[in-house]
Amino acid sequence: MTALTIWRTGKAGPETLLEIDPAGTVTGFNGHVDLGTGIRTALGQIVAEELDLPPARVRMVLGDTARTPDQGPTIASETIQFAAVPLRAAAAQARAILLALAAARFGCPPGALTLRDGVVTGGAGTADFAALLANQSIRAELDPAARVKTPAEYRTVGRSSPRVDLPGKATGTWTYVHDVRLPGMLHGHVLRPPYAGRDSGPFIGHSLLAVDEASVAHLPGLVAIVRIRDFLAVVAEREGQARTIAEALKVRWALPPELPDLGNIAGTLRDLPATKRMLTDRGDVEAALSRAKVQLARSYSWPWQMHGSIGPSCAVARFEGGRLEIWSGTQNPHMLRGDIARLMEMPEEAIDIHRHEAAGCYGRNCADDVCGDAALLARAVGRPVRVQLTREQEHLWEPKGAAQLMDVRGGLGEDGRFDAYDFETRYPSNRGPNLALLLTGAIAPSPQPSDMGDRTAIPPYRIENLRVAVHDMAPIVRASWFRGVSALPNTFAHESFIDELAAEAGEDPVAFRLRHIDDARTAELIRRTAEEGGWQPRSGPRLHGEGDFAFGQGFAYATYVHGTFPGVAAAQAAWMAEVAVNRRTGEVSLTKVLVGQDSGLMINPDGVRHQLHGNVVQSLSRTLTEAVTFDAISVADQDWGAYPLARFEDLPEVRSVLIERPEEPPLGVGESASVPSAAAIANAIFDATGVRMRELPFTPERVRAALAGAPMPRALAAPPPRRRRFARMAATLAAGIAGGLMAGAVAFPALRAEIPRSAPPAAGLWSAETLARGRQVFAAGDCAACHTAEGGVPLTGGRAIETPFGTVHSTNLTPDPETGLGAWSYPAFARAMREGISRDGHHLYPAFPYTAFARITEDDMQALYAYIQSLPPVRAEVPPGRMIAPVNLRGTMAAWNALFHTATPFTPDPAQGAVWNRGAYLVEGAGHCASCHSPRNALGAERTGAAHLAGGTVGGWTAPALNGTGPGPLAWTEADLYDYLRDGRSNRHGAAAGPMAPVIAALAELPDSDIRAMATYLASLAPAPAAPEPTAETLAATAQEALETATDPAARLFTAACGSCHMPGPLRLASAATVPLAFSSTVHAERPDGLIHAILEGVPATPGGGASMPGFAPALSDARIAEIAGFLRRTLAPGKAEWTGLTETVARARATRH
Amino acid sequence: MTIRLAVNGQDHAFDLPPQTSLLEVLRNDLGLNGPKYGCGYGECGACSVLVDGQAARACVMTLGAVAGRQVTTLEGLGTPEAPHPVQRAFIEEEGAQCGYCLNGMIVTVTALLRDTPAPDRATLARALRHNLCRCGTHLEILRAAERAVTLMAEARK
Ligand code: FES
Ligand code: FES
Repeated sequence: MTALTIWRTGKAGPETLLEIDPAGTVTGFNGHVDLGTGIRTALGQIVAEELDLPPARVRMVLGDTARTPDQGPTIASETIQFAAVPLRAAAAQARAILLALAAARFGCPPGALTLRDGVVTGGAGTADFAALLANQSIRAELDPAARVKTPAEYRTVGRSSPRVDLPGKATGTWTYVHDVRLPGMLHGHVLRPPYAGRDSGPFIGHSLLAVDEASVAHLPGLVAIVRIRDFLAVVAEREGQARTIAEALKVRWALPPELPDLGNIAGTLRDLPATKRMLTDRGDVEAALSRAKVQLARSYSWPWQMHGSIGPSCAVARFEGGRLEIWSGTQNPHMLRGDIARLMEMPEEAIDIHRHEAAGCYGRNCADDVCGDAALLARAVGRPVRVQLTREQEHLWEPKGAAQLMDVRGGLGEDGRFDAYDFETRYPSNRGPNLALLLTGAIAPSPQPSDMGDRTAIPPYRIENLRVAVHDMAPIVRASWFRGVSALPNTFAHESFIDELAAEAGEDPVAFRLRHIDDARTAELIRRTAEEGGWQPRSGPRLHGEGDFAFGQGFAYATYVHGTFPGVAAAQAAWMAEVAVNRRTGEVSLTKVLVGQDSGLMINPDGVRHQLHGNVVQSLSRTLTEAVTFDAISVADQDWGAYPLARFEDLPEVRSVLIERPEEPPLGVGESASVPSAAAIANAIFDATGVRMRELPFTPERVRAALAGAPMPRALAAPPPRRRRFARMAATLAAGIAGGLMAGAVAFPALRAEIPRSAPPAAGLWSAETLARGRQVFAAGDCAACHTAEGGVPLTGGRAIETPFGTVHSTNLTPDPETGLGAWSYPAFARAMREGISRDGHHLYPAFPYTAFARITEDDMQALYAYIQSLPPVRAEVPPGRMIAPVNLRGTMAAWNALFHTATPFTPDPAQGAVWNRGAYLVEGAGHCASCHSPRNALGAERTGAAHLAGGTVGGWTAPALNGTGPGPLAWTEADLYDYLRDGRSNRHGAAAGPMAPVIAALAELPDSDIRAMATYLASLAPAPAAPEPTAETLAATAQEALETATDPAARLFTAACGSCHMPGPLRLASAATVPLAFSSTVHAERPDGLIHAILEGVPATPGGGASMPGFAPALSDARIAEIAGFLRRTLAPGKAEWTGLTETVARARATRH
Repeated sequence: MTIRLAVNGQDHAFDLPPQTSLLEVLRNDLGLNGPKYGCGYGECGACSVLVDGQAARACVMTLGAVAGRQVTTLEGLGTPEAPHPVQRAFIEEEGAQCGYCLNGMIVTVTALLRDTPAPDRATLARALRHNLCRCGTHLEILRAAERAVTLMAEARK
């Protein structure tokens, strides 16, 4: 029920702008949404102002298609400037209505009444809104001419008002779109095609070749696999299940054609088709250029950049009774509704979009795409579905901020005036069509140019001969508006170029600008910014410096012009930037920024200042570090390591000068302060070094190259990897097919007598003590690790074990009479364990470590047998197969055994104590440590003597030496060994990972005395140290210093991808990285395999609790993992030979990943 | 296998595989909004929680790893009516634009102040260096963190 409604006629019928309910609660409705900039607070302030209410008493509903007006997309900082206008009028009109009601009630003219804090006071008394509206039901059409307050009357607007959303956001009670949960909701996970980030070309919507649904049929939680052309997704009960299923699903895609060389922005943008649109052509540019005293031709380029929302896009959809509801983080609820109607072939009226806040997006991210995904899935399964994109998907698919190229010529006239300017800009971008429409073929994937390259293309200066053209181009990769749109790059060119001209003219750059400005407001902004920033007048670069460092100041100015050409001006801003350039490393630090801004009336000055700060930090990040990289077919950056953002330590000192103009209309402030950023920084670098940076980003490598006069290196130093992700997919598929043929058998032709089947032993035959002992032997041998397949039923075998002679599969250990050990008598079992002969007389391949098990004592062997026979039987066939010759030849294994095997139980060494002997028994017997930790000879036998326990490899992982000859910088003491075997980690060496992790988990069954005994024995194997080793503290400190001071691209990648755990700083983070990486033997090993495997697959949580390290295989390309490995080797093992062929090693490791 | 842990002071038991992500359990099984999914690789900090008072990234924590431990989320620190001093500092200094990173900032500062009660600005910046914010709210966040130091000191008195 509402007591008072102000409405207007919108595009599709009446639209409510303001409501007051009988309790007096005021709700404002606005079609624009809060993109995280605090606009909700500012709009509430506007309503509160007109109604003389405390701002906290106004509620705002933003961007809900069923409830709010259609005011187009929230872009270009237009909310306050335009979208708020009808809202303000509605509030003013409501005020007039309330006053009229009060006047009637108190019998006095409205003019005699005062309204303050929601209470009307007149001659006869007071009344609040609820009292005035009692029993009323007023619906009034908007009077756009309703009298609004003059600035002099403002009490709320123009003052800072606390953000209404922060108490909820700071305590977890705010509902972002990510937090929408519906009853019965399922989770969808999309699988995107290999053409990541592309939106035109005939392959779009036609690349999905095959989906092997059977490959995931066994996985828990699966509800549906939904496929429509190139749209593919799985729906599952749980979010994690959906991801697991999606990752396991075998899919075949066609590979798209290659992209043009996007590392070469200038060449590629000039070559591609475009339509030239002349924006202005006055005077005679060519004539003026030919007579110019000084003539310059320059090109400036801007890279593709990510919007980089911190929260990947998410949506929830419900399809019920022919109606579709979507909970969305969209920027454009009404536009989205049109897209969804088209996708679903439904009328728009049957669709409601409920807009919730999401992570700040600063333009078009995947928020709309994911709504299409959720809608399709909700309809397919008939239950509400939530789709959360992964970080990788958001990075790959968000329509990027487009690259841009500005080709400029200009000249100075006789009197040193800026007399001629010829400016051409290329901006391959459009509005980012909804991805679901493209993938399902609902719209044609044809190249769609747009007209947004013209923002601030006209320079703000008085130039007599001026020609400005924009080349409208379709995107090459998905691209759409990003904060500052094309104005930011265009201004980078204008403001760098005018600085270049000033330097040519030998004139101060600020004075030179002022000489060409007519507008008094602009002139004042420029002057005040320079003054307050401590501008030092100059006639050329000042080249100040000290030691390695050069210091400079730079200035730039812009009015951000948005909307369709010629557009509308938002706030104008000027930057004075100070930089320090390290001439040796090329690092640029922005040390101080002063931003002056003229935004007309400021609704909420604190809000304006926060926007300004946000623009400074974001644009310094964009200027100094950000550029999307591409491989041959798609976007290549999938995580924050590959695409780093500025961090707290990069912050300059920021000051702002907000020029007060309460009499002027409010201007948009969301983007303006970004626009002069890059040029101001480039101009400061010029002042410091005399070198012009004309290509973003200004990374250390590029600045170093510019200082050396060398050509600009590409944004990514390593060569782009070719077809990495999908090459891997293809490889996995191939392996899956080949696996069936290749799989080797454990058994070989019979050579010895079969031991007859026996009836399974009776339950209860063995004492509890025997079973407990057997359980310990079982744990010491970690039988479960090899005898359980990946994702399979425990102990039923089937795990593929790769050997130099083929792949063998482990057997079913459970006492199932047909497929397991149920029909095995004790003698058959003991023979297999000690001699490697199966019950039926076949030889077992020594991947089964009978050479070690032979040492198990008779008592332990019997207990082990008892324990195994007490397990629940499970029927499970193990795949048959063949070994490659000669191991499958009759007799070979017998000969092998004769050479390499003695089947005698362990005999204690009388010269050693009982603890040592116990340790030796466990290590060399049931523990069979040498199986992995000794190198093998050409015939697959463990090498002995000095090579015993000297390190081996297993499944691509390095099994480090256990005899004290390992490569790590710190020796393994008895205490270290104990910690590691007991807890899975040692403070001086690191944590167990890969195949060692389950071993540690199994050892948890063993008593402390056994773990100590193993540590004692292993420690005794180490030779006496040749030289005193560094202390752990010194080593850690040196390593930390080396990591912190490195500046190459790999260092940035490492910091961003690995730093939270491996460079924790003052924060004690509960992470798997409990030990400095410099201690890890993987960094010091001869081969990089161990390190590479750890990065690809991660490190599991240790059994005693603690975190795990995630595997980075899905996020980082081969080239990037290679970069990290190479960086760690260089930095943490500086004395050792660099690893070579790293990218290939990563590719190999990835292909063999299980 | 049943895994028990305490979240915001309440005991819970889950019959889930130990490798289930802690973030998923907190958000989807317990319906908590504080910890956010941002990257899944420990790179951004959006998912931060406290485990036995220590900062942790829930996206790279497994349920098994927190068995028997105390997990505290943003919700467990305070409420809009009675915010924790660090939350209060962030509200008062407006240390957020969109606020998606806010959980991580508050949790990280809370954890830091437990070990280091009087950090200077540089230490705060270094402690927050692996918390990403796209909105560029860094200046307000640092100011909020500095205020949090003061408010916590007062609260301890
Ligand atoms: S989501 Fe956990 S650190 Fe990014
Ligand atoms: S406030 Fe938006 S990500 Fe930090």
